[in-house]
Amino acid sequence: MPAENANAAARREVVLTRIIDAPRALVFKAWIDPKRLAKWWGPKGFTNPRCEIDVRPGGAIRIDMRAPNGIVYPMTGVFQEIIEPERLVFTSAALDGEGKPLFENLNLITFAEHGAGGAQTRLTVQARVQHETAQAAPYLAGMEEGWTMTIDRLEQFTTSA
Amino acid sequence: MPVDQLSSTFAALADPTRRAILARLAHGERSVTELAQPFEMSLPGISKHLKVLERAGLIARGREAQWRPCRLEAKPLRDVSDWVEHYRRFWEERLDRLDDYLRELQAQQKEKKHARRKR
Repeated sequence: MPAENANAAARREVVLTRIIDAPRALVFKAWIDPKRLAKWWGPKGFTNPRCEIDVRPGGAIRIDMRAPNGIVYPMTGVFQEIIEPERLVFTSAALDGEGKPLFENLNLITFAEHGAGGAQTRLTVQARVQHETAQAAPYLAGMEEGWTMTIDRLEQFTTSA
Repeated sequence: MPVDQLSSTFAALADPTRRAILARLAHGERSVTELAQPFEMSLPGISKHLKVLERAGLIARGREAQWRPCRLEAKPLRDVSDWVEHYRRFWEERLDRLDDYLRELQAQQKEKKHARRKR
């Protein structure tokens, strides 16, 4: 295992940086406008039939993610910090069938201007796991299954065409 | 792997001395004395760290030799690495979708502008 993975694991943290081909204000809006957020949140093939976000410190997040096989994965969260258009901090928790949290993350999202004239955005996601229960693993596995099923369906579609 | 095991692996990895010990063991077996050397630490001090690592299943101690050499156990480290990968993928997928969505949105906006100019 690479050393940086060990260090990241020790902090129970995942850090990702991505250059996005859109100006910062537009990228930020995709996170704080519920209609826009619903278009991309969740694994591939998932839709978000319920996407309610109260964008202010202490404001609630409630999203129901629907897998291609119809299973709904609800999640909740709370906004901690909103500095438009540069920083977003929120907690997120996946819920089990009884509405109890399976795991809880603290997410720090940073938006920085990038490229000539700020045509692009450097997005950094720092996700730290705070609590995790024994049921979290099958939950995550289920989400992966949803993704695999999408690929299967796509394959079926392309081979039958 | 049960989450308790994962938690104890995380807890064991949270200490820089213990991570340094693991890094040294990646090169092969070492005795406790050998491990203590670079850290200017007492043998009981090092032994405490080794116990934490052993309980987390990150190292194993030989029984055969008098000096009970320590060696690295790969499985828990791999599990932790898998866990990190898991969360990374979780977010990578979301960011892929965000990227696609914003591309689409900008293309639509450009088209609208273009259509308006034509009119």
